[in-house]
Amino acid sequence: MTGLQIAFLALSAVMLFAAWKVVTSDIIVHAALWMVLSFVAVAGIFLTLHAEFLFAVQLLVYAGAITALVIFAIMLSDIRELRGEGEPAGAGLGRRVRRLVSRRLGLAPAAVAVGFAAVMYSVYRATPWPGLPPGDPAPSTLAIGRELFGTYVVPFELASIVLLVAMVGAIVLTLREGGREKEEKRP
Amino acid sequence: MIPLSWVLVSAALLFGLGLYGALARTNAVRILIAIELMLNAVNLNLVGFSRYLSPHDVTGQVFALFVITVAAAEAAVGLAIILMIVRQRDVSDVDRINLLKW
Repeated sequence: MTGLQIAFLALSAVMLFAAWKVVTSDIIVHAALWMVLSFVAVAGIFLTLHAEFLFAVQLLVYAGAITALVIFAIMLSDIRELRGEGEPAGAGLGRRVRRLVSRRLGLAPAAVAVGFAAVMYSVYRATPWPGLPPGDPAPSTLAIGRELFGTYVVPFELASIVLLVAMVGAIVLTLREGGREKEEKRP
Repeated sequence: MIPLSWVLVSAALLFGLGLYGALARTNAVRILIAIELMLNAVNLNLVGFSRYLSPHDVTGQVFALFVITVAAAEAAVGLAIILMIVRQRDVSDVDRINLLKW
């Protein structure tokens, strides 16, 4: 087992554990912080796959921007996920068992998720995959730049329009009509 | 050398975890986070296929870049909508957000 394989397995384990904690932790801010760890582990996996540019983009966009958005949204809007909200009452083992068999939180979503993973695994098992091409690939950043501004220039420009529309939309949606309220309260 | 199947299996497990989170949790923000996890799993698959199946071009990585772009836009708009709903109705539980107009 080479060092690269060990690094991949360790990053993959960190990623899956963090994702598990994202889904199961009781406090939503903790879930957001575990999400950061999961994103960083995914960035590391990109690095083991020789995708250096995506490593940087993953760190900047996911671990930086999206995390900041999520945490700002939680802090700004006082989103509480009360412990036990929407869950069976009680504590300890009894609550866990009731939670496991409840329709909303327990078996049905778990069955869907496990079923999906099992189907994908059987597909992967049945398909013959080619081995790794020999040699280290050339650094991919230059090639990505050429592709983005050559073959994919129209989708690239469309993506910038999508981002602009999303930004304007988010601002318009959350615009508080604060000035008018202040004027009404003053007299 | 990392076998391609390792990448695919860990991506499938990550997608499964995100799917479970999106289905089982009821907090809107946590559902958005779970969706981001699923998009990450898709990106892992794209980068893996790009590295192993077509090592001489970077189409898969460019696709992953576009997925990241759309994910960022989706997070911004989704969180803005959640902020509005919380501000107007003071709920973030999707089971209680069941009216189109109020």
